[in-house]
Amino acid sequence: MNAGPNARAWLVGSALAFAAGAVLFPLAGPAPLDYGALLARREPEWSILVQLRVSRTLLGLFAGGALSLAGSLFQAMLREALATPYTLGVSSGASLGAVIVIAMGGHTFLGVPAIWSGALAGAAAVLFLVVGSAARQGQMSAFGLLLTGIATNSVCSAAILLIHGFASMAQSFSIARWLLGSVDAIGYGALVPFVALVALISAWVLRQARHWNLLAVGEDWASARGARVSRLMLGGYAAGSVLAASTVALTGPIGFVGLIVPHVARSRVGADHRVLMPCSFLMGGVLLAGCDALGRSILAPAEVPAGAIMALVGGPYLVWLVRQRG
Amino acid sequence: MTALLSVAQVSWRAGAASILEGVSFEAGHGELIALMGRNGAGKSTLMSIVAGLRPASGGSVLVDGRSLDDWSPAERARTVCHLPQAVRADLPFAAWQLVLMGRYPHANSWFESETDRAAVETAMRRTDCEAFRDRRASTLSGGERQRVLLAACLAQEPRLLLLDEPSTFLDIDQQLHCFSLLREETQRGATCIAVTHDLNLALTFCTRLIVLAEHTVALDCTSAEALASPEWLGLFSSRLHLNAGPSGGPWVSFT
Repeated sequence: MNAGPNARAWLVGSALAFAAGAVLFPLAGPAPLDYGALLARREPEWSILVQLRVSRTLLGLFAGGALSLAGSLFQAMLREALATPYTLGVSSGASLGAVIVIAMGGHTFLGVPAIWSGALAGAAAVLFLVVGSAARQGQMSAFGLLLTGIATNSVCSAAILLIHGFASMAQSFSIARWLLGSVDAIGYGALVPFVALVALISAWVLRQARHWNLLAVGEDWASARGARVSRLMLGGYAAGSVLAASTVALTGPIGFVGLIVPHVARSRVGADHRVLMPCSFLMGGVLLAGCDALGRSILAPAEVPAGAIMALVGGPYLVWLVRQRG
Repeated sequence: MTALLSVAQVSWRAGAASILEGVSFEAGHGELIALMGRNGAGKSTLMSIVAGLRPASGGSVLVDGRSLDDWSPAERARTVCHLPQAVRADLPFAAWQLVLMGRYPHANSWFESETDRAAVETAMRRTDCEAFRDRRASTLSGGERQRVLLAACLAQEPRLLLLDEPSTFLDIDQQLHCFSLLREETQRGATCIAVTHDLNLALTFCTRLIVLAEHTVALDCTSAEALASPEWLGLFSSRLHLNAGPSGGPWVSFT
């Protein structure tokens, strides 16, 4: 579809915002940075900027992008504006894995923080469970995925409550803190593989953009126009799950971005996924990294988790948006 | 010359219930076939099996003498199009974007060419959709949306058109226009099978009638044969009569 001038403006605009965010957000934070010291690469300013703020901003940008892209992918495949990694159970699987690890007091596993391994394992378990049960019937149907996701959600939340109840005071506090969802300082050793993974999967998802257009109309519609529907649904579900799980592993469950960003983007740039998906990724990244920058500045030196800021700002905005339409 | 479409002993079971049994027919180039039958006769099921959207429980479907299973989905989509009975009403796409999707199997790259865009404009002009080409499908009326879907099928430039109730929601003038379009397509050599409940439309425009009843093909004859011996009307209702209309055309009336 030939992108209209409107779509092109949104693409360029969100790309510029993404780039500007990468440059400007690291400057925000509890300790004011002296620009002269930064230019001279003097310590500790230089280390604060590069080791703490830049890596954290990049994490926010790519985590927000990955969650938004996964959201718009699931929404296209299931033709359901409420489909997100959360409603499909992937994120709650990851959360349960992480919470189990916190409750067991694990610290590192195979060199990575144990929480990450727990989250990835949890998401993988849900992925196999859902795909396994859907694939046994010979096809991946939107309805089956959504229903399995909802069931998974209830089971995981119940299990988390149970573990929370048995945990000690300190563990219970860290579980509650983790469940809020936040973008924290991260080493480059973990950031680089995360960014590479997100970039790789996002590239595959974007390559299939026309197929997501077809699936957004219907499975038969897509099949009659040359799409291999079962294979696409399987690939899309796996790609969205890996995007969501690797993000949840690093940030905790930040739910809102995957719902609100694709929704706003769709109402602004239209439904062509060739424009919608890149815009969702870029805008989602800016939103999450922006919420994090805001959260570490407004109550400095205390930090408000990015997930909380996102919910505080995004919730009312979404309600307002819905009321405007209605 | 092999028939474009050859359906042999196709069956379809949903659980224990048998919907279609031993359905066989062939369709040649230039035929405009009305597929009819009462509610639940399996018309839509047969259409989606022939379109390759679901595998038959038994039997075979050959297009150009080749089993449908041997066609890649993209290759099949360049030859066969399927107009669904309905798509969801709240589609976020603009009308022209839906029509453009008919070009996806033809366009190899991520973007469409001038040829593709021209095919979209032609299809929308033929189906009278230009007035609402930029509107979102969710804001269109049922009949307008139906015309957009038909345009999407025409833009696909298929040789075999499978249309599941193409004239639903259409006003009478648009129903006639729709069947005239189908006749144009068949005069260019395409083959067209349309599900319809309108006996007069079928007898006026179609070259051949296929009626499904009792899970299988109960009637398969040319329109001329159908006009000559109208006992088959009993397959639909005992209250139908075939008359000659005032202008000489067929006219099914009811008591």
